[in-house]
Amino acid sequence: MTLPGRDGTEVDALVTDRYLDQLLGGDPGGREARLDDAVRAASRRLSADLPRFHPSFRFEERLALRLAETAAAMRLPLAAGSESHVVRIPVVPGFDPLGVVPDDEPREAAPADLWRGAVRGAVAASALSLAGAAWYAWRHRPIASPMARAARAAHATRRA
Amino acid sequence: MARPVFGRSGAATDAVPRLAHFDRDRPIVEAAKRDPARFDALYRRYLAQVYSYAYYELGDHHAAEDATERTFLSALANLGRFEERARPADGEGASTFRVWLFRIARNVVLNERRSMRRHPAEPLADEAAAVLADPLDVEGRTVRNEAALAAWHAVGRLPGDRRRAVVLRFVDEMSTAEIAGVLGKTEGAVRVLIHRALRSVAKDLGGR
Repeated sequence: MTLPGRDGTEVDALVTDRYLDQLLGGDPGGREARLDDAVRAASRRLSADLPRFHPSFRFEERLALRLAETAAAMRLPLAAGSESHVVRIPVVPGFDPLGVVPDDEPREAAPADLWRGAVRGAVAASALSLAGAAWYAWRHRPIASPMARAARAAHATRRA
Repeated sequence: MARPVFGRSGAATDAVPRLAHFDRDRPIVEAAKRDPARFDALYRRYLAQVYSYAYYELGDHHAAEDATERTFLSALANLGRFEERARPADGEGASTFRVWLFRIARNVVLNERRSMRRHPAEPLADEAAAVLADPLDVEGRTVRNEAALAAWHAVGRLPGDRRRAVVLRFVDEMSTAEIAGVLGKTEGAVRVLIHRALRSVAKDLGGR
């Protein structure tokens, strides 16, 4: 199947997504004939085998109580007509739970990123090559002035 | 101690009134904004999902409990800042509140991971192995535990966003659109992440 403006991976990903909608919606058979067999098998295994976890009842009730206390603390100033209220929440300095926290693992390079990196590398390498060629040409340029020729000869003799 | 729960949570099959609201949580969220005590209903609805996400990311039940607690306390304290952004295209089971809550969870978990790296304790996943092999687990038949453990390890070996996308899709049963909202990516990018993750998992599980 080809769709305008989409590459092969995107089309495969769309097919996988449609299959997952069916599988997770309770239809283990699925009707996506184009789906890769390995992906179909992995999807079924994860759907059947990945465990879901629940915290202990003690934790659940303790946190429910904590939330109820916090809610009550929020409600009191509201009831008294105050426009603001103070709620004590365990706060990590400089951390905003609603902000954009950067990922802590290296970002996966998208194919476009890889191309961009390769082009940048080629440009950098070409720039270095051009700079090297210019330096070499400057160092080995023909010397017109007899005085400069004499100075270079003297310098070469001293180095020898 | 975390309790593994097998089988679908039923979130996708919960009775959702047709054409009533685009966001299934809207009535409770509005009630909780008026009276914070009503937040308890949201807490009970999403506790296991947030805890599961944190546990998959952190592999330690104390750390997962801490992250869960911070997530819900932050959500309650910041509920006034929540804006519903459900669109008709999101479907009738969509919840922008759940996306908002999981964005908080993602941030809290990332923060917790940094803190765990600064103060490392036991290796990740060892505890999960203990939980999954718990002989007191009512449904913990050996074969099932082995399969669950293999799946857990395969998912644990995935790189960051692929792992998160798979956990949100398979464990928390989110739609691609919801996962895109949580991870701050496009739906297309999320589809590709999950597709690539499944290929990796297939290779990983195929070899054992």
